[in-house]
Amino acid sequence: MSKHSALNTFGRSGNPAFTRNFDGANTIPQSERMTLDGAVNKTAILLSLCFGGAFVGWNMPALAMPSLIIGLILAFVTIFRSPAKAGTTAPFYAGFEGVALGGITVFAEAQYPGIGIQAIGLTFGILASLLFCYKSGIIKPTENFRLMIFSATMGIAILYLVSFIMSFFGSGIGFIHSNGLFGIGFSLFVVGIAALNLVLDFDFIEEGAEQGLPKYMEWYGAFSLMVTLVWLYIEILRLLMKLRSR
Amino acid sequence: MNAIFFSILAIFSLFVFMNLGKVKASKKQMNRDDRIKWSYRRKFRGQKNKDGPKIIEGSAEEIDDETKKSSQ
Repeated sequence: MSKHSALNTFGRSGNPAFTRNFDGANTIPQSERMTLDGAVNKTAILLSLCFGGAFVGWNMPALAMPSLIIGLILAFVTIFRSPAKAGTTAPFYAGFEGVALGGITVFAEAQYPGIGIQAIGLTFGILASLLFCYKSGIIKPTENFRLMIFSATMGIAILYLVSFIMSFFGSGIGFIHSNGLFGIGFSLFVVGIAALNLVLDFDFIEEGAEQGLPKYMEWYGAFSLMVTLVWLYIEILRLLMKLRSR
Repeated sequence: MNAIFFSILAIFSLFVFMNLGKVKASKKQMNRDDRIKWSYRRKFRGQKNKDGPKIIEGSAEEIDDETKKSSQ
């Protein structure tokens, strides 16, 4: 059997987690299917937990680093091990990331008062405006768009990883953290990529609801939105700190 | 003043998200040929049907040597 005839017969998988769940959608009863309402409500629950965690982190900033690490582990477990258990892992992820963000914001606020609320306002402002652009069809995500955003996201992740490893040897990639024009430009680029990841999340949730995926994918969609929002908030905070330090 | 502006922005944006998020995307967004295929199932579903089912439905019958001979 040639490669192409095999693809025609059995179909092709993109993201394994998504595809596995998309393919099983036909046999699910109506009440057990993913809906837009459910995904939005679950995002609201995760945001509430994140704010609750942030309150804890704000008062106990020492918990920020352990919470960040636990949150990262939970995120990897949810993505690679058990998307079906997102209903259990996602709330814990949101809580721990909230504690981490609360702690990080305390440090930022100590240096630049008022920066936290600016970052929160801009993060949710971007969320709402991109949602409007997506729903109205102003931004139309395509396969090429996804490929471009995925490549850029991976590139940024590798750059951060290399910088992190180099920091153990007393070195680093200077422009990432600098407040010069290049550093600010880099931060703007990263904020842009993080924001455009939101469009992919919206499209995934919309498509999932249309296809009638299993109910737990509401949690998974809300979780993916939370991951992007947490990243976007941190990058906006970094950008604002660079701008304020000039 | 700064804090008030960004607080209002955050609350308003959350309100927009909670309401607009539950509305289906426009037809302009949904009815496109170049949408992201989160699954390739849809793409190949038509081709699968065109090829026809690979399983022949019906009751299975045991064929032994005698029935073979009588049919010949």
